[in-house]
Amino acid sequence: MIDAAEETVIDCDWHYQDSFKEVAEYMPEPWYTKYKRSNWDDAGVKQNLSSFFPTSTGDRQNYGKVLREHSNYPDAPEEPERVTEGMDFLDIDISLQISHLILAMGGVTADDERVQAFTRGYIEYMLEEVLDPDEGVYGLAPMPYGDVEASLDILERVEDEEAYVGACFVTAGASPPLGNRKYDPIYERCEQLDMPVVYHTGGSGLDEYVRAGYQEMIETHTLGFLESNMSQIVSVACQGVPEKYPDLDIVFMESGVTYIPGLVSRLDEEYLKRPEEAPLLDTRPSEYITDFYFGTQPLEVSARNDLLDLCFDMIGTDRLLYASDYPHWDFDSPSIINELPMLDDDDRRAILGGNAIEVFGV
Amino acid sequence: MSVDADDLVKVGPASEFDDGDAEIIEVGRAEVGVVRADGEFYAIRNQCPHDGGPVCKGNVQKELVGEFTGTGQRVEQQYSDTDIISCPWHGWSFELETGIHIGDDRIQVPTYEVVVEDEIVYVHTGD
Repeated sequence: MIDAAEETVIDCDWHYQDSFKEVAEYMPEPWYTKYKRSNWDDAGVKQNLSSFFPTSTGDRQNYGKVLREHSNYPDAPEEPERVTEGMDFLDIDISLQISHLILAMGGVTADDERVQAFTRGYIEYMLEEVLDPDEGVYGLAPMPYGDVEASLDILERVEDEEAYVGACFVTAGASPPLGNRKYDPIYERCEQLDMPVVYHTGGSGLDEYVRAGYQEMIETHTLGFLESNMSQIVSVACQGVPEKYPDLDIVFMESGVTYIPGLVSRLDEEYLKRPEEAPLLDTRPSEYITDFYFGTQPLEVSARNDLLDLCFDMIGTDRLLYASDYPHWDFDSPSIINELPMLDDDDRRAILGGNAIEVFGV
Repeated sequence: MSVDADDLVKVGPASEFDDGDAEIIEVGRAEVGVVRADGEFYAIRNQCPHDGGPVCKGNVQKELVGEFTGTGQRVEQQYSDTDIISCPWHGWSFELETGIHIGDDRIQVPTYEVVVEDEIVYVHTGD
């Protein structure tokens, strides 16, 4: 086992607890004024019975059981200095910040402006207040992918900003799914900019805007995170995004690793029976999908070791990226990786930091 | 065609085949389908590597292929010149000429040389 504190550890998924109130200061008009006059609160949910973004099932903190010492989450907006405090706590050298609030964007059907306004405001807010490459705090730019032009505007805004090292697509609720040619211009631009595309599962996964009726978060969170990522993995692979943009780095975040072998095995079976329906692929979808990168969190450490070993073998330890998800309720510390008995020290170093250096150039 | 007659298995008159027709014969211990497509004869093992299905009892078609023509464009799909045969059990499809699976070139059904002499179709046993 290595001493992780002495190694470079890069956390590819830290959630900055942004607040609508603070981001609104950077939103374009008319949303800047609308927000201030709407009585929406920090979380954007007050204003009587409506909310800025949809809400999701369950209580993240499990009704008072989960506490965070090094973050204001979930009780108050984050303070930027608490990010480096948390990184010190976890012995993390570099973190990639992903918006907390954007995770519910897939359910926005109220208008075609608020996601765009939020992402524009978020980009400026994070640049101004939070991101600091000198301190190892980088960010992923959220894509309002429903609006391709707005997404290209975001990419143009961040392309010369050292602090932004990737584009983030929330996978929950994307319609049409993210392999659709509609999104080609975003992928093309990301490839040109050498900017990885990070697909991040979202919401509780199976929220009312994806599939209504589940009762508890244990149900929606278990199923939904997988479903959201799986639906986009299948779409992106079958529609040939990796063939169209072969130099594009593709990352899927926050669904653990055990779903990958099951998904690709099933998809390969389908493909061998009907390959003409994925006409851009030269070989099995699994060959493309295992070239994607995967965030490890929440790693299924209670699973049988031989299952995890199989997962790592199928995906490849050169394709796994340590991710904490801090300060969310099910975060992983670096020791989750370091203590895995089936990894050698080179694998541990690669997953904890080396692979992220390759992908994100941080 | 310089093949030893001892290595040939007679199939039948070429005139009795229309495009898409298949005749199942025995070559050694293997079932082999002799198939006509676009006027050409092919011979391919009648056993799908997937689940053992009778490949040669399936349909012969042209392979549907797609091409990426540009960002944001639909994938342009058209039927190619490649003749394929599809196992009727699950649709695993193979190029008639090579026996290679159209989705994964690591999977291949054995093929055999077909000889037509004096309007009679033969399969070369490969021995």
